[in-house]
Parts: sequence; structure tokens; C-alpha cells
Amino acid sequence: MGRRLSARTPAWLMAWFVFDAVITLAPPLYWAMDGATYPILGIPAAVFYFLAVSTCTAASILAAYWVDVRSGEIEA
Amino acid sequence: MIVTYGIVAAFFAVIVFILQRNIHKDRNFTDYAVGGRAYGARYQAMSFLNTWYPGSMFTAFGGMAAASGVISFYVLAYSMLTVVLMYFMAKPVWIWGKTFNLHTQPDLLALRFDSQHIRTIAGVIGIVSGIPWLVLGMQALGTLFQYLSLGTLQFSHAVIVGVAVIALRQIWTVRMGMHGVVISDFAQGIAAYIGGGLILVGLIVWMIVARGITFESLDPKMFALPGIGSKEGPLYLFSLMFTGAIGGWCWPYIFVRLFTANGVSSLKKSAALAIPLSLAFCAALLIFGMLASQVPGVAEKPNDVWFIVSQEAGGLWLLGLAGVVVLAASMGHTDGNIQATGAQIANDLVGNYWKLDHKQLIVIAKVGMLGLTALSAWLACLDLPALFSLGVLAYQGIIQLAVPQFLGLFWKRGNAYGAIGGMMSGFIVAVLLELQFPGYLPWAYGLTSGAVALVVNLAVYVAAAFFVPQSQADRARVDGLFATLDDERRALPAAAAASQPA
Repeated sequence: MGRRLSARTPAWLMAWFVFDAVITLAPPLYWAMDGATYPILGIPAAVFYFLAVSTCTAASILAAYWVDVRSGEIEA
Repeated sequence: MIVTYGIVAAFFAVIVFILQRNIHKDRNFTDYAVGGRAYGARYQAMSFLNTWYPGSMFTAFGGMAAASGVISFYVLAYSMLTVVLMYFMAKPVWIWGKTFNLHTQPDLLALRFDSQHIRTIAGVIGIVSGIPWLVLGMQALGTLFQYLSLGTLQFSHAVIVGVAVIALRQIWTVRMGMHGVVISDFAQGIAAYIGGGLILVGLIVWMIVARGITFESLDPKMFALPGIGSKEGPLYLFSLMFTGAIGGWCWPYIFVRLFTANGVSSLKKSAALAIPLSLAFCAALLIFGMLASQVPGVAEKPNDVWFIVSQEAGGLWLLGLAGVVVLAASMGHTDGNIQATGAQIANDLVGNYWKLDHKQLIVIAKVGMLGLTALSAWLACLDLPALFSLGVLAYQGIIQLAVPQFLGLFWKRGNAYGAIGGMMSGFIVAVLLELQFPGYLPWAYGLTSGAVALVVNLAVYVAAAFFVPQSQADRARVDGLFATLDDERRALPAAAAASQPA
């Protein structure tokens, strides 16, 4: 299964996707954000957490698309 | 009322005009069911969004953000993860779809597991599970039309107006099939997510500047998340996000988007186009909902937050535009649901047991769509107190398709026994648990019934994969199937050349 998923996907990109899943789903991370109102970049930490993990996931898709275009796997 | 209803009527007329301009005769069932696999990235991206985010995003999730705060952001997190899954699924699903002329999600399962019956089982699960959400979507339009009537219509009458509008809209869905769905999704998506996103940003600025509302002015309980010792349980949020991400692709009307593209490149490019838009729109909606909890009237009716704040900030004209946004999102979701279900009735139920030509399949799909529209319109006008519970039950059930779907795509082991046995046992366990423990399971640390049932489902699938002997012929068949993916360098240019760019 792993071979098929990663046939042309660089290891760093696979690691990024795994990172996306971990930071989004790992319960200890969101437990730590329970009631967190201290500001990070002016945004309450609990809100910042969700915005940050979502932006990270979105960026990984854009990176994957860029990698696929550069490698000729898909057309731009 | 003339202003608000007039704006919505004008938008409806524009959509009908666009559809009328694009009417053409379907050449075959592939044209009708999956739009001839002819659509490029921009159409794909908007079509995905218009199906993924229904009109109830503005009421249910906007309301959740206003009432409960930051927990509502789970929808943003899983909506991003689901696009990652799309990126991985794009190649195998599209190549098998093109190579073997697949039209529906059960078609893919039947191909992968070489089973006629899995097509029927997956088809029935998909169709039955979709009906409560179709009815709920129609009823949600009642809120829209009641608000736009400025209190003139009672809710029951507003529901009838909403049902009549969405049923009228289905004339073009039935006539045009998937072409109509994708073309209208493009226009509706621009109105709902680009137009709606701009309105959301404007309303956020209005609340900050004109009303002085900021995150600091919110009640601290708006930042609570269920952790250890919470009523829901520490794994409740994990369960919502995990089942949300994988469950999205179990709905037939979402899955079929993977078949309508003109190539793997278009699918992957559509993911890259959709994800920033999805991030911006959903984040704006949830931030808007949280801040709007401070606007007078919202705390009493959080599900009306979108309409209350729009009217407060921009009067009747902005309320009318807010109505257009919700209607555009609702139409995309409802059309997609009805079209996919009609195609499944023809392809996976009737066509699974009788040999039908293209013309007969299209006729049966159209009759199925008409019947489904009539049934759901009738149900929407009834007072069904358990409907939302049925919808939740359906969700816990349909995500059981995830095990054979995802493992079938990426793992050569696995067979029809495990796929059918796992799906059936998962479905039964999910239904029994949900009936016994609605919402979440206190003894499972807050996991939902569907998540626990997925474990059972997975265990059956994996056990069958290892303990049921696989014949040489079946091994060769599965190897051949996966070989088509390894051969994609040759397959893709040929497929792209055969498709028309949209």
C-alpha cells in the first residue's frame, strides 16, 4: 500500500501529509487548546490552532500540485 | 418582501437561463451520469465546493459557531483533510473509471471486488442514507423563505415555498443530468462561495468597526473544546473530524465528482484551486458566526445568524443577497444528490439485474430522479420530528463504505467477503449503537457510533483478506487492475486526447 501511495511522491511531502493528519487529529493538541484565549498573532489560541492546521493542510496540497507539475506527473 | 424575493427570483432566472443555453442531447449514459468525463479543473473545483458545502452551512454551522464557538471549527479542519484524500484518490479512481467506463461509486466497488451484489448493497446504502439529508436540505429552505418574507409567511408555508422552488429547479437536473449539475454548480458556486465569502468578510469588518465586536468581547466559554473530563468525552472531537474527513467521500454525490473530470491533471488541479477557496470561505463563515454571537437577537436564534446580521448591516438588499447565497449553495447540493441517486437507481439497482441499453438507463434515471424529487418534497412538507436523528444515523451508516473504498483503492489484498461482511457488520453495529447512544458513546471516550463500527468493519475486512484463500485467477485479476495504474503514463495522454476540455 505504501509503495503505491508514494510511487512518485517525495518523502518530505509524504511526511507533510502525515504531519497534517497528526496535528489535525491528535487529541492532546486540541485538549491543550481547550479554553485557550491568549493571543497568538492577535487571534485567540484556540481559534489560531484550527486556522494554523487548516492552512498547513491547504499548503501541503498546493505543494503537492507544484511537485506533480514540476515532475511532469500532471499538466499545469 | 418584493425586494428580497425579487433578488432571489432574478438569480433563479439567471441560473435557468444558463442551463437553457447549455441544453444538449446526451449521447449515452456516460454523458448523462458523469457528464461525458469532460470537465476541466475550474468546473471540477466549483462543482466539488457546491456539493461539499450545502446551504445549511450558513444555518447549521454558522449557528453552531454563534452558539458554541470554536468547536465549530472542526468542519474547517476535516474539510481540508478531505481534499488530501481527494488528491490521493484522484489517480486510481479516475483511471479505473475511464478504463472500465464506471458511472457510480458502487460500480467501482463491483469492479474492485468482482462482485455483482456489492453494487446493490452499496447502492441501497447510498440512496437510503441520502434521503434524510435531501429532505432536511429542502426544509432548510423554509428558514430562508420565511426570513425573506420578513415575517409574512409562517414557517410551514415557507417550507412549502422552498420545496416548490427546489422541485421546480429539478426540471433542469432531470433533463440535463450531470452536465446540468456541473454547469450550474459553476455559477452557483461563484455566487455562494466567492460572493458569500465577500459578504462574510464585509460583515466581519462591519461587526468590528461599527459594533466594536472582537474576539476579546466574546464569552470565554466560546473557546471551550471537549477534553478529558468533558461531558462528550476526550475523543469526541477526534471522532467528528476523522469520520468527517473519510466520510465525505462515501456520499455518492461527492464521490461521483471524481468521474466527471477530463483527466487526473484536472482533478489534482481542481484540488489546488478548491482548497484555498474552501479555507477562506469556511474560516470566514466560522469567524463571522463567533463574532455575531454578540449581535442582538442571535443568541436567541443562532441558526438565523446569517440572515439576522445581513439585514442588520445592509437592510433588505443585503438580506436578499444573503438569500441568493444560501439558495445557490442549497441548489448545488440538492441537484447533486438527486442526480447521483437517479444514476444509481438506474445503474446499480435496475441495471444490475437487467441488461439495459443507454437510452433505457437514461429513462430509468430520469424516472428515478422525478420519483425521488416527489418523495422528498412530500416528506419535507410533513412534520417529522425524528428526521434529524435519522440523518445522523444515516451518516454513521454510510461511512462504513469507507473501509472497502479506501483499502480497495490502495491495497491489493481484500476480497468481496471482507468488503460485504465488513460493510454490513459495520452498518448494523453503527445503527444499533446510534439508537442506543445517540450522538456519542460515553463508554468509548466520546467516539461516535460510526467510528466504533468502523473498527468492527476494518477487523472483518482485514481478517477476510488474510484468512479467506484467494484463487490464482482472482489474484491475477487484481494484479491486472492495479497494473492499469502503473501504466498511467501511456493511459493519461490517450485519455486526455479523447476528452473535450471544458
